[in-house]
Amino acid sequence: MWKEIGGREAGQIRPNSFANRVKSHRLSTLQLSNYKEIVSPHKGSINSLQVDLTEERYLLSGASDSSVAVYDVQRATDYEGGGHIAKHRSVFVVDKQHEHGHKYAISSAIWYPVDTGLFVTGSYDHYVKVWDTNCTRVVMNFKMPGKVYRTAMSPLAASHMLIAAGTEDVQVRLCDIASGAISQTLSGHRDGIMTVEWSTSSEWILVTGGCDGAIRFWDIRRAGCFRVLDQSQSQLGRRPPLLKRKVSISKSLSAGQNSSVKPRAPQKKSANGNGVRQSSVGRIPAKGSVRQRLHPGMLSSQDRATAHYGAVTGLKVTENGMYLLSAGSDSRIRLWDVESGRNTLVNFETVRLQTSKPIQLATTQDPAVVFVPCMTAVKAFDIWSGKTCLTFRGHYEYVNCCCFSSQDQELYTGGNDRQILVWCPSRHISDGVDAGPMQDQDNWSD
Amino acid sequence: MKNDTNSDSSKPKKRRRDEEIEAESSSSDRTLSLEENLTFSDTLVALRIMRAQFPHIDKVSIRPFILQSQLYSSVNDRTQVDRELESLRRERVLRVFKLNTGQDDHAIMFLDDYLNQIECVVKRMEEKKQVNLEVFEWFQTHVLDSKLEPSVGHEELCSLLSIVGKVKDEHISLLINAGILTRQLIDPDMYWFAIPNIGSVLKGLSQGRKEIISFLNRRKYKEMMLALLEKKHLRFSPLDMRFHLRDLIGSGHLKTIHTPTGLVVQISKD
Repeated sequence: MWKEIGGREAGQIRPNSFANRVKSHRLSTLQLSNYKEIVSPHKGSINSLQVDLTEERYLLSGASDSSVAVYDVQRATDYEGGGHIAKHRSVFVVDKQHEHGHKYAISSAIWYPVDTGLFVTGSYDHYVKVWDTNCTRVVMNFKMPGKVYRTAMSPLAASHMLIAAGTEDVQVRLCDIASGAISQTLSGHRDGIMTVEWSTSSEWILVTGGCDGAIRFWDIRRAGCFRVLDQSQSQLGRRPPLLKRKVSISKSLSAGQNSSVKPRAPQKKSANGNGVRQSSVGRIPAKGSVRQRLHPGMLSSQDRATAHYGAVTGLKVTENGMYLLSAGSDSRIRLWDVESGRNTLVNFETVRLQTSKPIQLATTQDPAVVFVPCMTAVKAFDIWSGKTCLTFRGHYEYVNCCCFSSQDQELYTGGNDRQILVWCPSRHISDGVDAGPMQDQDNWSD
Repeated sequence: MKNDTNSDSSKPKKRRRDEEIEAESSSSDRTLSLEENLTFSDTLVALRIMRAQFPHIDKVSIRPFILQSQLYSSVNDRTQVDRELESLRRERVLRVFKLNTGQDDHAIMFLDDYLNQIECVVKRMEEKKQVNLEVFEWFQTHVLDSKLEPSVGHEELCSLLSIVGKVKDEHISLLINAGILTRQLIDPDMYWFAIPNIGSVLKGLSQGRKEIISFLNRRKYKEMMLALLEKKHLRFSPLDMRFHLRDLIGSGHLKTIHTPTGLVVQISKD
């Protein structure tokens, strides 16, 4: 360690690679923390965890007993075990007794991306509520037609404040905080929507995963989705080779133009009018919408490509915006290249994944490791080879959500056993770094 | 495995000779020990060897197929398996079929074997004096060649078959009756390619899997030496133990542990 610092000082190691080395070393020593604990006041299983995006200081958790709690993960509320174990109790808790609180389980609780003054919760009681953090009051209420499975706000948004809500209903709804109404609905899925994520490279692009197994990319400025991911469209490697990409583009164009002559199946990537619709012979399909004239943007609703053989239960866009990870109820995790829309065929060794609830995945910043809740353990996979690096066993029941704080390299996981566990890089207790706060009575917030 | 630290030089030579004789006799048998042949270096090598080791089933005439989970247990890197399978599929060396026995089960068959299997089915139908048999030829030349995925949509199938002649509902019903196309619960509008005459084998597959898992579950520590487990005979499955073991290890239900006395197979706890 000191040798590396010396190397950094002398200029032999560049600053970024030094930081990455330290971070990956700490990541490899992650284990159940023996010096930090989060005391969870929840009486139901924990469905959602998120650390705020601005300071990575406050952890927001939503549980099945309609309670929401916020914890300060950097400053402990009290110490135990002779000052060695830091206990973090909740800063505040909102539960069913609150006059405007949720009545049923909360499936998703997220921070307002700009600051921690607001947070948004979505619940099985069909409501999405926006709360003021300081007064713990409901500021806005949006009624949805079904149970809300996931809510998401774009971390990059500079010109809109839309909350994307995925519900049991087949349409994705965008709720606008500025106007207080549901401003847009996106149709295309054929079953409920379990996961919603905003793209990390553009504030207008939304990715949704449905119970029908499809993953759709939406540009909210237009109607209809512009891409449906198909698991049979694959590429061998992280990015497609340059030459091959040209061939596939020309194929899709020619298939679109002369669909009667060439027997090749047309590429289903773009909402291309000529490719998808063929004259039906004999049988009329069950939906019966082929004869209808559709808006060109809505033709993608005909595209029935699936990304998974079951429901899509988890989605995560990597922070560089280039790759998308999806977990499905067919117990497969797939890595997709966002730009080409293809399956990179990385095989993540999972045996079983939870099928009934959406799960929350987490990735490290330079996407090196992905954390996936697999039943009662959380597994960390190397993102490019799919091999299991680490397994975190600590929960007594199924794990639903995990959240990685890249600043401190800490992993927070919540599960059906009502506990939030903290996984930290190992540290020697004799370091005595935290022995100070026992005597230090001041608690200035910086 | 050999404890010959205290013996003098003549004894190890004797033991080695004995082992050589044993190895020769075992290789001259048809059955090679699974323990020594669990992993291969390359997907194509693994596929060819497993095709050769496919058990002979009496009542059903079926060409050898390999399950994708068997490949995962035979080659160390799963991503490499997936990518090599994809490139072999694109080169039309083999075809992948989605089975309906449980989640994410896929069967792989070499293309020549599959075409042979279709031939057998067509011959049997000819004997029964079926009409409209030209649809099988259309299917082989147009659909199989251009559709490399395991499924095909209804409209696409009709358009591909209509290139040659007029396609009617009876043609598609014939394909389904022959067992070449099936429908699954996932999508009402989608046909899935299937291997004809495979039904009884798939039933044996599920029953064999259950039998092995329940057998190991009943044991005290839920584990057994691979060398001993291999020799057991399955009551409910026409496929042999080695086939099932590769499949269960690859799908993650069983795991192998290296011990000083050999490989031990254990039920995995996740």
